[in-house]
Amino acid sequence: MGDLPPRSSVKRWLVTTNHKDIGILYLLTSVFFLVVAGVLALLIRIQLLQSGGTILSDAGYNQVVTSHGFLMIFWFLSPFAFGFANYFVPLQIGADDLAFPRLNAMSYWLYLFSGVLVLGSFFQGATFMGGWTAYAPLNVPSYIPDFGQVGSFATILALIAFIGSVTIGSVNFLTTIYRMRAKGLRMRDIPLFSISILVTVWMMLFAFAAYLAALIILSSDHLLHTSFFALETGSGPEATDSGSLLWTHIFWFFGHPEVYIVFFPALGVLGEMVQTFSGRRLVGRKWFIIAMALVGIQSFIVWMHHMFLTAISLEIKTVMMVTTVAISLPFDLMVFSLIYTMIKGKIRWKTPFLFSLGALVIFIIGGITGVFLGAIVLDYSFRGTYWVVAHFHYVMASSAVILIGAVYYWFPKMTGKMYNEFLGKVHFAMAFIGFNLLYFPMFIVWETPRRIFHYNSGFTMWHQTATAGAFLFAASFLVMFYNLAKSLYSDRHVGESPWSYVASPEWAVSSPPPLENFPGKPSFASGELNFLDRAETDGGVEDAATDGGVEETLAPPEEHADHASWWPFLTASSVVLTGFGLAGLSVSHFVWPFLFAIPAFVAALGVHGARQDGFAQIHGIYMMLSFPLLALFFIFFHIGIGIGELASMSAYFWAALVGAVWGAYTLAGIGYESFEVPEPKMAEQWPFESVENTKLGMWTFIASDIIVFGAFIGAYIFTRIEYGWQEWWKLAKDPAAHTMAEQALEHHPVLPGLINTYLLLASSFTVVLALSAARRTEDYSIGPFSISNRSATVTFLGLTFGGAAFFLVNKGIEWVDLFVHQGWTFGVDVMSSTFYLTTGMHALHVIIGMLVMLFLIARAWTGAYVGEGEDASTIEYFGLYWHFVDIVWLFLFPLFYIL
Amino acid sequence: MASTKTYTAIFVVLMALSTTQAAVEWLGFLEDYYWETLGVIMVLSTMKALAVAGYYMHLRDEPRSITYVAMAGLIGFLALTAGASYSII
Ligand SMILES: [Cu+2]
Repeated sequence: MGDLPPRSSVKRWLVTTNHKDIGILYLLTSVFFLVVAGVLALLIRIQLLQSGGTILSDAGYNQVVTSHGFLMIFWFLSPFAFGFANYFVPLQIGADDLAFPRLNAMSYWLYLFSGVLVLGSFFQGATFMGGWTAYAPLNVPSYIPDFGQVGSFATILALIAFIGSVTIGSVNFLTTIYRMRAKGLRMRDIPLFSISILVTVWMMLFAFAAYLAALIILSSDHLLHTSFFALETGSGPEATDSGSLLWTHIFWFFGHPEVYIVFFPALGVLGEMVQTFSGRRLVGRKWFIIAMALVGIQSFIVWMHHMFLTAISLEIKTVMMVTTVAISLPFDLMVFSLIYTMIKGKIRWKTPFLFSLGALVIFIIGGITGVFLGAIVLDYSFRGTYWVVAHFHYVMASSAVILIGAVYYWFPKMTGKMYNEFLGKVHFAMAFIGFNLLYFPMFIVWETPRRIFHYNSGFTMWHQTATAGAFLFAASFLVMFYNLAKSLYSDRHVGESPWSYVASPEWAVSSPPPLENFPGKPSFASGELNFLDRAETDGGVEDAATDGGVEETLAPPEEHADHASWWPFLTASSVVLTGFGLAGLSVSHFVWPFLFAIPAFVAALGVHGARQDGFAQIHGIYMMLSFPLLALFFIFFHIGIGIGELASMSAYFWAALVGAVWGAYTLAGIGYESFEVPEPKMAEQWPFESVENTKLGMWTFIASDIIVFGAFIGAYIFTRIEYGWQEWWKLAKDPAAHTMAEQALEHHPVLPGLINTYLLLASSFTVVLALSAARRTEDYSIGPFSISNRSATVTFLGLTFGGAAFFLVNKGIEWVDLFVHQGWTFGVDVMSSTFYLTTGMHALHVIIGMLVMLFLIARAWTGAYVGEGEDASTIEYFGLYWHFVDIVWLFLFPLFYIL
Repeated sequence: MASTKTYTAIFVVLMALSTTQAAVEWLGFLEDYYWETLGVIMVLSTMKALAVAGYYMHLRDEPRSITYVAMAGLIGFLALTAGASYSII
């Protein structure tokens, strides 16, 4: 902890938790990935110069196509938008920073290091080759060539780490936008960009959770050889690729919202740029926002329009066709609102506006061609062709084009310098012509098959045109880089706002904004967020808009939020080594690095705790405890693998081990730092007025975890229905077909599940008691004995830990029996796959909870949660997580043990 | 926060309902009335979940908006599961 070093120092950028710094880091990193993914795109276009290809091998082309998609969608488009979101959302809503600045830094570093992992996968044999949709069964090991196994798995792990970043970011932005708004700023008056980010993070929170579940299941198919996505049910002509179908369901449940996740932030800036350069408020602003929210909800019920050529029923296809057509209606409203605003306004033809208008044209073309694909009958012809490729590039790239416009729009604000208008216009002209030259021919030669570099040789001229367009499009970016770099060092200074008409508060502060964002306390209490013009901003609209409270305008900023921290960077960096190593490990080896990381975590809790809270017995106990724990795991290791094998362990093993231990050590470190900044004393917080930031953060996280577990349970229900719900156990009882399962069944009674239900319920109860103990004002006394609240809190937390430990031991006995004695391993059949993975995922949550409990016990021991002025809320927030894990088990118990 | 007495009562109810679920299986209801019993068991699980969420996670005392946040996740899960399952029936 400490204050931030100056921006000229490298250290500043490694330790910063300031939202504007992190915004800049996001922007620069995502532009780096744009360049990488753009070069990959050029390789694709060079390959397509003639049918049959030019420079890439088959496997090379597949890798390039796949990683181009992954990098553009995940590591460029969204993070690019979130660079702006980081920078501008707090400014637009009048907050000093995001609600959880350190977690924000964590999001960024996880994003960066997940990207490093994906780039590294190219050097681990081959990166993933099955397209960005990663359709099953091309995503499971048996369908991936040997040289691509490790790199493909590394790509999957990189996506998982990326979702970690996304989820933390979503929780952070939701909490910020709901809880940190300046006085008087109602939800409906939030500037359009921040509104669009709010809708986006809601979609992110749920959509990415489903994708995370799919990727974890996929990882289990890779690592544990479970059989989810390669599963076929039935036989002969009745056979169904249930596994493929399951993947497509979960993937597109995420994938369709993902389109809007990418597009909405751009739509928000588009609205702001159209307002600014038309010189008038958006026509039908309220309906624009309602339409956006409506699309956000609808986006979760259209996903099967990506599955018209699968075995799903015609009824559901028809339903999805209707919902798909319905979702285009709110978009029509938004497009008309934008066009009407331009017509009614007085246009200023600045570079950002040109990009806005160009993007709108591109988006309309993309939208209309998409309606073709939404019609079942047409999709039969269009699916898997360049019609699709052209359509979604028109849609996705329209958001890129808008965001490029946003670079010009906000560059003066972020740097205090004006870009060169002429070069900006040159960039636009080159980009717009290049883009259409690149993608429009694809509609003409739409019969070219997607992802394949063999096509009708009559199409060659069109494909060569497209390639020329691609290079023009790419070159246009060089103009931008030159323009911005040159302008940054020019002396074309700007004041608060270079635009003669602005609509949002970021233009009311200096350019670049000061570290603490606002000179005083921002307030919008006059009722409405006014449209500002330059004359007004000079006078200080913030002052004019306050409700007369002197303390608001003159009070110094509240406690400084910008504390430097190494931990987010250090913790996230462990992802690279861990992921790199895990990708190359086998089922028998992968668990050991993580087991050995546990003693490291326990020891680190002692070390960091002693440093933070002053040495107490508990810290010594933890440090001492880590040795027998380590010895215990060594004994397990010796039984399982053999100590002698250590000498011949692969580099993957050591990488994973070092990564996991490093991760454990740093996680313990970050735990002792407070995640929160002081909550604003005067803020608009509807509809979460009486919910603290961390509690809201915890609940939004739980909501996303409901989807993660929901997708696991959904996968189980789907698979079981596909298999025959009641056949599930009956077939397992057929001794000829499923001997091992039959044996397993006899030894898989209700009892272990019931005992574990008791244990978890009891541990939930003791958490509740721990919280009451911490919040009690008087000590407990029973007869002559009295127990301090501190001791009681520690005791109840310890009992909770004990309950969880017994839960795991009981599960361990059950698993060892099934696994070792019955031979009912992970991949024996679909039943074992679903059983082990779903209950295993739950057990993982229990283990994570136990690790957090160790931390809580250490803190409680030093008296952190009891007494006056101390806050027991940490126990409460942990309790929410723990009860949630309990609730999940309440459903897993009947689903996997009784029914 | 509710009183320790309430929490204890909830705990006893939770244990009892869990035992009931297992007992239903032991008594062999699933053999003869599979779908009815499935319904009963799932209703019991839902009741337990509501008790934990309402009292232990004290959703009863929080603003409704928090419940809606959790409900949103639940509805997402139901949409995915119901949609996917319906597509193959
Ligand atoms: Cu879609």
